[in-house]
Amino acid sequence: MNIAEFFVNVFIFPGGLFAIMLGLLLTGLDRKIYARLQRRVGPPIYQPWLDVVKLSLKEMVIPKTANYTVFRLAPLLGFAGMLAAIAVIPVAGIYSGLYQSGDLLVVLYLLSAPALALAIGAAASGSPYSSIGLSREISIMLAYEIPMLIVFLTVGMRVGMELGGTAIFSLSSIVNFQLSQGSLLLDLPMLPAFLAFLICIPGILGVVPFDIPEAETEITEGPLLEYSGSGLAMFKLTGGLKMLVLSALTVALFFPMGLGSFWLVNLLWFIFKCVVIMFFTTTLIRAMQARMRIEQAYKFYLLVPTALALISFVLTAMSFRI
Amino acid sequence: MGELLQNIVKKSPWIYRINAGSCNGCDVEMATTALIPRYDVERLGCRYCGSPKHADIVLISGPVTAVVKDKVLRVYDEIPNPKVVVAVGICPISGGVFRESYSIASQLDTYIPVDVNVPGCPPRPQAIIDGIAMAIEIWRKKF
Amino acid sequence: MRKFLKVILNNLIKGPSTIKYPFEDSPAPEKLRGKIVHNSDACVACHLCEYVCAGGAIKMQESEDKKGIDFVVWHDTCTFCGLCEYYCPTKAIHLTNDYHTAHLQADKYNYIEKTFVKKQPCTCCGEPIVPLSLAMVEQIYGKEGDVRGLSKMCPQCRRKILWKGGVSKL
Repeated sequence: MNIAEFFVNVFIFPGGLFAIMLGLLLTGLDRKIYARLQRRVGPPIYQPWLDVVKLSLKEMVIPKTANYTVFRLAPLLGFAGMLAAIAVIPVAGIYSGLYQSGDLLVVLYLLSAPALALAIGAAASGSPYSSIGLSREISIMLAYEIPMLIVFLTVGMRVGMELGGTAIFSLSSIVNFQLSQGSLLLDLPMLPAFLAFLICIPGILGVVPFDIPEAETEITEGPLLEYSGSGLAMFKLTGGLKMLVLSALTVALFFPMGLGSFWLVNLLWFIFKCVVIMFFTTTLIRAMQARMRIEQAYKFYLLVPTALALISFVLTAMSFRI
Repeated sequence: MGELLQNIVKKSPWIYRINAGSCNGCDVEMATTALIPRYDVERLGCRYCGSPKHADIVLISGPVTAVVKDKVLRVYDEIPNPKVVVAVGICPISGGVFRESYSIASQLDTYIPVDVNVPGCPPRPQAIIDGIAMAIEIWRKKF
Repeated sequence: MRKFLKVILNNLIKGPSTIKYPFEDSPAPEKLRGKIVHNSDACVACHLCEYVCAGGAIKMQESEDKKGIDFVVWHDTCTFCGLCEYYCPTKAIHLTNDYHTAHLQADKYNYIEKTFVKKQPCTCCGEPIVPLSLAMVEQIYGKEGDVRGLSKMCPQCRRKILWKGGVSKL
């Protein structure tokens, strides 16, 4: 892959600028549907674009107790991680991914970058509300990583079973396998893993009922408390990108089929699938549930999605033996 | 270019509320303006934020009592520029019914510069939305 | 969980219930207590509204050329309690249902309702007084005789006339 194609792929077309606009559009669509579910007229769909423009024009106020350098560099860490992650995930019919092997594990590591960036930024702020938000963020990150890891292992093992003899962790191979043999949702042992991954998504995104680190009314916005102006704009961009990365990952892992061969039709079908995933994991749950306490969320993540993922893992391993 | 940016920016003002010793009547009206579907203020692009550092328009209610005066000034200093102040209710404008109390020294505009007044005890949510619309016009010109 | 799903489905079907206020009109109910309006023809300058005002918004002062009384209401301190309307003997002060009260800081000290209650000379002795209203005089002195004439006299002349013979002789 030559340097120009690399540049365009990472910074302009499926990654970079296009992904930022699409991710923020997904966030705006989520706010609009949430408002309609409550009998309100919500903000227009392109509202997050306007928010980010406005935030980057305001001045940035840095508290006296903050560590100056780390405070300013922490938002860039999460943004860079997500930008790298979206460039790695393949979309059927449009983009075939950057690497050939091991990129599922790379995405797993990169998905923890925004949470770490939030934690580092909160630690550098030097405010007591931020440190409470920081400890809650780290605990819930530890809780949702476990079922996510088991789901990735299960998918890798299932694909590797048919193709080689060992587990395969390459997203391009997983996507090509499903394009030729039908989606992974069609065989029953993978369904609990799919459910477990969908349950993990609200926790990763920080959406009610799991938005404990950023609880507005309890600890006045936790880790983001001391950020203003362009730092906050970077965090909002990272949030939008994270939603796109998670939807794209779910699509690539479980049902990446395209619709024919024209690239525009494939793109629209991909966006439609992302919107459907976002609706069922984020908006509907947000409209119906209240916020959980940190120990309830921790216990929930260690019990329910882990059990579902383990069921899938064991069933797949057993048929591997047969 | 400046005109285009101003037009973009006026569509997303973020609002922060400060209670400077009020009786909470105006606070209830400000809360209904945001959350009740009937007067939803989010369709104008506004959002109630939880931290003063994210705010653009600040709504202040309550007469500035002696206990809370320094704290209100500190929180006001944390809000990044450009910002607009709206005094909600008659208490910050002139002391209201508490004007002869021992704990109130003077009106709000002797401490911080106020831009829009919305009198009423408490003002109707539609009047508060009027005040916010006027504040957005003033704020857009400050960019 | 199922109850919530039913509620959400109903909400989607019924549509938004928002009154889109600045772009569409929001009518106020008739009995809403809004801004104050003062009728200087019916006012008898008894200062009762100034006494009961909760926010201290009403000020009545004699004008410099002694031709009448300046009546000022500063809307920025008015609590919209309605006590002045309740206690006014002639119903000269009245709360409308206008709730559009937001204004800029520059207009703060101009946001008033100012009227002028004129004094007229007494028909007996010529001294300038604020005439009583007809309804008030009828309530005090009954309806027979020339009560209309009594309403244009100062209190001293009224006392003198009634001592001499009473209302029915007028």
